[in-house]
Amino acid sequence: MKDVNEQLSAIVDNEFIDQKLIDDLLINKDKQDQFCRYHLIGDVMRGDVTDQFANFDISQQVMAEIKKQPITAPVVELGASTETVTPASENNVISFVKRFGQYAIAASVAGVVVLASLVTSEPSFENNSVGLEVLKTVPLGAANPVSLQATKKQSQQEIKEHNERLEALLNDHQLKLQTQP
Amino acid sequence: MKLLLHFKTLITGVFILIASGAFSVQATEAGNDQTEKKGDITAIEYLQLMQTAYKNLNYEILYLNNLKNTVEPKQLLHGVINQEEIAYFRYLNGAMRESLQYLQKISYFEQGSQPYTLQSSRNQSVFANIANFDYEKGLASYEYIILGKGRIAGKTAMAIRMMSKDQYRYSYIVWIDLDTHLPLRLDTIDNSNIILDQIMVVSLKVSEQINPWLESLSSQTLPELFNISQTANLKASLWKVDWLPAGFNVVKDDQHKLVMYENEPVSYIMLNDGIVSVSIYISAKKTTLAQQQKTIQRGATVLYTDQKNNFEINVIGEIPVATAKRLIDSISMVE
Repeated sequence: MKDVNEQLSAIVDNEFIDQKLIDDLLINKDKQDQFCRYHLIGDVMRGDVTDQFANFDISQQVMAEIKKQPITAPVVELGASTETVTPASENNVISFVKRFGQYAIAASVAGVVVLASLVTSEPSFENNSVGLEVLKTVPLGAANPVSLQATKKQSQQEIKEHNERLEALLNDHQLKLQTQP
Repeated sequence: MKLLLHFKTLITGVFILIASGAFSVQATEAGNDQTEKKGDITAIEYLQLMQTAYKNLNYEILYLNNLKNTVEPKQLLHGVINQEEIAYFRYLNGAMRESLQYLQKISYFEQGSQPYTLQSSRNQSVFANIANFDYEKGLASYEYIILGKGRIAGKTAMAIRMMSKDQYRYSYIVWIDLDTHLPLRLDTIDNSNIILDQIMVVSLKVSEQINPWLESLSSQTLPELFNISQTANLKASLWKVDWLPAGFNVVKDDQHKLVMYENEPVSYIMLNDGIVSVSIYISAKKTTLAQQQKTIQRGATVLYTDQKNNFEINVIGEIPVATAKRLIDSISMVE
């Protein structure tokens, strides 16, 4: 399959013409689509896209996908793992989650708006620095995109956890301020 | 040539004007100083008058909190019922966030979450830290200087600088209303005179009688009391701080769990100098710090992280980074 793709790509570039492949292309819908895509990619790269291809609007498709999702999906968060493991003790789970919420609010209302800004501004900064590092250390074209993405994702996860912990510390600090003797 | 000469005289004229302007400003400032001495109110007396006013008057203030580039408008209603203070606070923009403090309890109400109450004997309102400070004691670490008069929220205010005597704490400038003695503005400034945090009143109303609505709040049933001592462990932390900035004391020393983060156990020490509180968390090292920032600063609040052997230490509070560093250096395990 990869070979065929390469050949298709070559045809697009006017480098390689194989009668058999062209015949194949005339009947095979998949390959026609692929051929189309290669041309589109080429056009986009050259900046020649002026016709209807440039106007492809994926927002409708995305919205349709979103509508298909179950409505409860975004609620699955912190307590989710415990909830699925022990559906019997649902009451406990709820009160625990509630407690989480309460602690968090104690801090957020506490007057100092430290948290919100730290949470919103800090990760983006960290992300940026990681991104820059990647750009700097990998020469253009020589990159292996797959492994690169993997390391980036991993560190993002780490950063996220680190930030959550810092946020928890700040919350705890706020709570201690409230209940200070 | 004649034109040039004319130009020269013009320039010297302008210079003379500017110079005389500067002199006259100095002269009026000196004049202010003298009237202050005549009135016999010293800087510390102004600050103490402010404390009394903040605790005992019925007032409503609208104020802004300037942090970096964000401005947050807020409202505070304060009243006294049978010698007990009652304070209602809310954010004016965005989601409803309100709090009510009365009789050693503070209740929080937030749009979209369940309200709750905490036991809190300290006043948590905006100027509470400077209004609760023991200024006589504070003479050991601060110098109080009258800067002169200014105008805040349409009122004449006296600006007083609380200057730190060392580099381990921030300095403050407090503007006090000459009429009511209520605080009108508070700037937190660092050693290089950069404003880190600013609270500015834009509207002030003082009344003889307590706001009737505030009075009605006092009889309101409060949300359920949330007891933290359930989760707190009263065992002392196994750590001690060998160096404290002048004026600071250890006010809490315990081991507890971070309920908000995987119930992670931490050793905890809280320091307080009457104005700021500093939290020190000592926990097991989890990740290597290499790629992480050590310092996170927002306004006057710093979160400084460092690692020693197998431990991670986090210091949080409104202190300069240098203080946080020195505190961490001085932390050792109790033998």
